[in-house]
Amino acid sequence: MTGLLIILVSSIFVNNFVLARFLGICPFLGVSKKVETALGMGMAVTFVLTVASAMTWLVQRFVLAPLGVEYLQTIAFILVIAALVQLVEMVVQKTSPVLYQSLGIFLPLITTNCAVLGLAVLNIQKDYSFLEAVVFAVGAAIGFTLALVLFAGLRERLDLCPVPEAFRGTAIAMVTAGLLSLAFMGFAGLVAG
Amino acid sequence: MLEAIVSLGGIGLSAAILLGLASKKFAVEVDPRELEILDALPGANCGACGFPGCAGFARALAEGKVDPAACTPGGQATIERLASILGVSAKLREPEVAVVICQGDRVKAKDKYRYLGVEDCNAAQKLADGPKACPGGCLGLGSCVRACPFGAIEITKQGLAVISREKCTGCTKCIAVCPRQVIRMVPASATVHVLCNSHDKGAVVRKYCQVGCIACQICKKAAPEAYVIEDFLARVVYAHHGQAAPAIEKCPTHCIRDFIAGYPEGSTFAPSIVPTSDEAA
Amino acid sequence: MSRKPKTFHGGLHPPDSKAASADKAVEICPLPDEIIIPLSQHIGAPAEPCVAVGDSVCRGQVVGEARGFVSVPVHASTSGEVVAVEARPHPSGRDLPAVVIRPDGRDQWCDDLRGLGEDELAAESVRNKLCACGIVGLGGATFPTHVKLSPPPEKPIDTLIINGAECEPYLTTDYRLMLEDPEQILDGVRLFAGVLGRPRIFIGIEENKPAAIKVIDAACASSDIEVVPLRVKYPQGAEKQLIYAITGREVPSGGLPMDAGVLVQNVRTAAAVSVAVRTGQPLIEQVLTVTGPGVAEPKNLRVRIGTPLRHLIDACGGFNGEPGKIILGGPMMGTAQLSLDVPVTRGAGGLLIFRQEDVDPRPEGPCIRCGRCVSVCPARILPTTIVAYARNDQVETAETLGVLDCIECGCCTYICPSMIPLVQFIRQAKGAIMAQKRNA
Repeated sequence: MTGLLIILVSSIFVNNFVLARFLGICPFLGVSKKVETALGMGMAVTFVLTVASAMTWLVQRFVLAPLGVEYLQTIAFILVIAALVQLVEMVVQKTSPVLYQSLGIFLPLITTNCAVLGLAVLNIQKDYSFLEAVVFAVGAAIGFTLALVLFAGLRERLDLCPVPEAFRGTAIAMVTAGLLSLAFMGFAGLVAG
Repeated sequence: MLEAIVSLGGIGLSAAILLGLASKKFAVEVDPRELEILDALPGANCGACGFPGCAGFARALAEGKVDPAACTPGGQATIERLASILGVSAKLREPEVAVVICQGDRVKAKDKYRYLGVEDCNAAQKLADGPKACPGGCLGLGSCVRACPFGAIEITKQGLAVISREKCTGCTKCIAVCPRQVIRMVPASATVHVLCNSHDKGAVVRKYCQVGCIACQICKKAAPEAYVIEDFLARVVYAHHGQAAPAIEKCPTHCIRDFIAGYPEGSTFAPSIVPTSDEAA
Repeated sequence: MSRKPKTFHGGLHPPDSKAASADKAVEICPLPDEIIIPLSQHIGAPAEPCVAVGDSVCRGQVVGEARGFVSVPVHASTSGEVVAVEARPHPSGRDLPAVVIRPDGRDQWCDDLRGLGEDELAAESVRNKLCACGIVGLGGATFPTHVKLSPPPEKPIDTLIINGAECEPYLTTDYRLMLEDPEQILDGVRLFAGVLGRPRIFIGIEENKPAAIKVIDAACASSDIEVVPLRVKYPQGAEKQLIYAITGREVPSGGLPMDAGVLVQNVRTAAAVSVAVRTGQPLIEQVLTVTGPGVAEPKNLRVRIGTPLRHLIDACGGFNGEPGKIILGGPMMGTAQLSLDVPVTRGAGGLLIFRQEDVDPRPEGPCIRCGRCVSVCPARILPTTIVAYARNDQVETAETLGVLDCIECGCCTYICPSMIPLVQFIRQAKGAIMAQKRNA
């Protein structure tokens, strides 16, 4: 039980996927202009991450490993993730057209989101059990959403600030992301793992 | 080898079945023309059409609720393209641009008090109807500059708004935001304008502005067709703007200006070069 | 006098600068050569002129009739001849319609003015009298008093607060009135109480006016009116802040004092009510503190409404140095004037003259996030955050942050070390929100 808790806390704070492992930077910078869309993106990624983690673990364990074709890991995982993302896209388009509009290109891009693939590969590398893999995925997803929403909040406030001309837009966002990442580094040593 | 084919093929097949079912269940109908229309639109989301953005306009167009000509910023080319996508005939509007009909900057026009507040025309206008002595003159605090989605307006060093004929698309956003109604829509082909917005009598205008219209009738004598004087203010009759030029030299207060010869003093915009193609017509 | 002074959250204490005029008895200002009676002297619909050029009018005659319920008539403040009915400079900075009178020097009262007898003091007749006499709230808002005294039946008023705080720096008119004529104020208070039906009555006075507290306390000795000393702090005299300080009740956001069961009236309004009801004389004069470093001899003047500001300054010995800024009203909430031809209107409590060197024309600087505007805000909103949103045209967000609760007291602008015109931005945002609401 403590093991699972450590995995959860560690993946949210200490090894935050975005701010400590630097995975999934693309949507982090792309969909963080408003808290609302950031939250929507966070939800979409949470779903994909959790399901993908479980699916890829199952694929690895029951398909790739028994057949001895672990070398197909990357391509098989991408296949699974891509199918999931397609599914999420359809659901979002049907249920929340506004969110679909504002997520735009970043929704299909979850396919190539390295956070998802990274998580799947890390699961195998760390030799996690199925339960551990799912908890790890949930933690990573919460961490991703947390980073995204925090950053979106900062950027909303940043819009109100008299930023020097040269720093407007992405430039100041990059600086802010760096500072936020620095702040998350402060969690290092919080838990072992 | 066989294992690889079977495993990948199996995963792919099951994913395909799943997606196939999902696409049935979550199908959303989209008018294919909508995307095509959105592509053809300028994409500035300026709101000139009355919709919040280009996407809203595109949807309304696809549903046949609005006329393609409502997209004034797109100009003739866009409207024609939209018409061909929708399969309707293009009704063309004469293109219009916005002009600030005032030359009274800080040097040429007097202020009635010293304004130290918020840099915004609407805020200044609320304090005793604005610091400018002239009731219609440009306040030069740049509300229109901030409203313009196309960067077509600048404020000169002396505090006067000037609109570039080339950059202006006629979206009328600046007109909506100006508290003094000093911006007007004029045919894009016209370059001669009476740059004054004061309806005060000549003697009053002279007191507060060096370049105000004093309704002396001289322009009307020089070009009777092209000018009309109403309520102590001359304006160009744009139906006959081709004949307006002879009065420019004669105007005693120099408030008639041809933008081909240059924008009001202090503007960094290059003078208008071409009267647009239908000038001759 | 050992009672603990009451107060509210926030606010600040600018130097009160009242010493120059506090000890000077009210003088009567001589009549000017021309009296300009603006037809818009109150909140609500402007009055409709009912005299023509050439008419002769007597002192107290109606020259503009009320239009609608929230409106009051305006009266000639002296006898003479109407020489013009035209647009003249107005304290708001615009030229607005006014009746111009050339005084004939006889200062003849109209002979049909009659007060109410002891047996005629029914609520309805008092209200009608106040409306006919043009009584408005003289604390500055100039809201017609008869309207304020007509609360809807579902909102009963159980508390009456008489505002003698005079928290604006420089002004000493309320103070002088309390010293010189406490009986008139108390008579007005009793009339209010009669209309409202025996409410609890408090008179709030800031602690820096011990003489006034003593005089009013002595005058109230035999009644159940309670004199409440208040902490010296601006805006102690603002309605909602005063209500909170004295009763501990909070007026709900977007509500009126009557929503808390309270009515607030200024001491000068009370005095004017007494005059109107007892004698039938309309509101035609006004006590003004003419003060500030830019005037030769600061004074408290009893001035006829319609007297041009120029005349007041002459009566005080003229300017001292080069005038830089002239404010009608208090320094915190008054309006700067464009012209000395502007007449005194109802509700003007002071005329402040500052020299060129007193005006600080520093340009606006960046916000340094010191938070002082937040700590002084008596409405407990976040001026700096609201202004940041207002500046970026995000008025919806500004509204969710409570911009409509701003009372425009000016504390934030006063305290801001970066000279940011916070109140102006907030007013802008409020205007935009109200416009949106009207259109919706």
